Amino acid sequence: MIRFLLIVLRALRARPKLLLPVLFAAELAILAPISGVQFDTAADFARSGRLYATDLITQSAPMIVLAVGMTAILMTGGIDLSIGAMVALVAAVMARFDPGPNFWVTAVPLGLLCGLGLGWFNGTLIARLDVPPIIATLGTLFLLRGLCEVLLGNEEFGTFFDVPGYTWFGRLSGSLLVIAAVFAVGGSWFYRSRLRRELLMLGGNRVAARYAGIPVFRRIVQVYTVMGALAFVAAICFTARNGSVSATSLEGLELQVIVAVVLGGTRVEGGNGSLIGSVIGVLMVAVLAEGLRSAEMFHSDLLPFKIQHLKYVLMGGLLVLGVWVNRRHVSTAG
Amino acid sequence: MQYFERTTKSVRHRLLFLFAGCTLLLGFIYWRTSLNVNSSFAAELAQIPVFLSPVIIAGMGLTGIIYAGGIDLSISSMIVVAGTVFGILFDHGAPPWVCFLGCYVTAVGLSTCNGLLVRMLGISPIIITLAGLQFYRGVALILADTLMPNFGGGLSIQKAAYQAPAKEHAAEILAVVVVAALAWEAYGKTFRGFLALGCSPQACRIAGLDPGRIRLTSYFVGGLFLGVAAVLFVTNVQVIEPARMATGFELGVIGAVVLGGTNIFGGEGTMLGTVLGALFLYLIGQAMLYAGVSEYWRTAIAGGVIVAVIGFDCAIHRRQKLLDELR
Repeated sequence: MIRFLLIVLRALRARPKLLLPVLFAAELAILAPISGVQFDTAADFARSGRLYATDLITQSAPMIVLAVGMTAILMTGGIDLSIGAMVALVAAVMARFDPGPNFWVTAVPLGLLCGLGLGWFNGTLIARLDVPPIIATLGTLFLLRGLCEVLLGNEEFGTFFDVPGYTWFGRLSGSLLVIAAVFAVGGSWFYRSRLRRELLMLGGNRVAARYAGIPVFRRIVQVYTVMGALAFVAAICFTARNGSVSATSLEGLELQVIVAVVLGGTRVEGGNGSLIGSVIGVLMVAVLAEGLRSAEMFHSDLLPFKIQHLKYVLMGGLLVLGVWVNRRHVSTAG
Repeated sequence: MQYFERTTKSVRHRLLFLFAGCTLLLGFIYWRTSLNVNSSFAAELAQIPVFLSPVIIAGMGLTGIIYAGGIDLSISSMIVVAGTVFGILFDHGAPPWVCFLGCYVTAVGLSTCNGLLVRMLGISPIIITLAGLQFYRGVALILADTLMPNFGGGLSIQKAAYQAPAKEHAAEILAVVVVAALAWEAYGKTFRGFLALGCSPQACRIAGLDPGRIRLTSYFVGGLFLGVAAVLFVTNVQVIEPARMATGFELGVIGAVVLGGTNIFGGEGTMLGTVLGALFLYLIGQAMLYAGVSEYWRTAIAGGVIVAVIGFDCAIHRRQKLLDELR
């Protein structure tokens, strides 16, 4: 056992990038059995593993979608605190429409337009008016939450399950397809074009990026607009699973997404970032939450407090630890 | 007057704008209350400290931290932990002053702990306090579950003696803290050190100041303010509910600080601006109520005001910034 750990440690020192997947695997190995995955026979494993994966993926689909956009934003040295409110507002706008076959031609395009517009507004504030990103999106966070309250009041709107064919997005196949589509587009855009290098350069040194001929303002507006479109996709995933939306739903989502993305190795100051790392970060957070929820259900008398409350403590600790480890590996690399 | 000469032109303009805005809004509210028999201007004024004192006092502490180039996103969770300590002491039958002291000391200790972590780990304050936002809320929930028998998620405190600070003395406490803090900022050395650190850590080091130490002091001083804010916040709510208490409080405080003209990257700003910023956001909401706008618009208007004021301000100073960049 100790020898095995030593081998793993040596491999990690040679390739620090492997640290995150190894941590994720270790987390899965500890928490998956608690969450009810059985390893007795192949058939048991297939059945319980499928249930577990369905729960995990459908639940974290909105966060994975948002994490893609957040990675790009953090790479440019920006931040978007308004995404939770943005998703809620897009969902609220769609909730005001009649749930019928017409929903697909009225509410859905309007939701997309709404997301794009909100994202473009953020981007314009940040790029054209030169407002610091954290302040601009903090302001729009208030603004959008407030608009949600204006649209929905204190009620909970839950008409999404009546839309024909809508719940498909909340199931495993739908969520997987949405995630795969976002990744195919985002990934190819990222790794097959100059965009990724341009964004990294923007985050590293904005003045140098301008002198290198990168259209700085346009790129920033584009990144935030794409975030708006992704907020629309996340809103669909969320409402298809939950069926309802209220003015306070998804509060604090932005911080969770940032925690996950930073955990995945993206630097908050910009100039470094990885899409795959972000997804692993989201999944780590989701596995943790799921594991603690099941531990609460099956072993509730193990500790003198509710085990689910450990989630906050562990997430905070994990974030600091992840950033600290990343920072050390960057500083040793030069 | 030296106090104002120390600030930059944009901060002075912002102060002037906020002062004029607050006066106008107060005038508007006075006009509307004088028209209506059921409402009185004095009652409206007396309400302000009760609702606003935690935001103003926590905001002044945060101003010092942001001056020094740091930030604290975890204030709401720290208030929750302090509130939980208050609740635990109350539950065990401690006298009121012990409860207040426990609440205060917890908040100061947690803020100092944030400062220590920032100094020792060398990670950016945003990350540390973002983690703290999650971590401290978990700590509060676990503390409440472990140390209070029969705790069912909320603890109701209905004794006048335990609620005195917010319900009876909020105005006095607010006045004393604001005057003392502004005097400290104007005549003391501590806050100039924060400003210096926020402007340039390198220059600080060369001038013989210790940046790490000043950063830590800024979190400690922020904690001193946060403690008062926590006591006022906790004694104002009817039920102490660690899972839901004070969510989003930090965003309101940061909004007030930023609206008050403090540069989010450090190095410029005033505490007076923060006080006026918080007041302005509150008064604009009240004025909207008197103008007949629905209560639901309140958050949206606060956000719209932050975006509009700061967007306008940044757009005006943009040319200067671009020129600086080219130089």
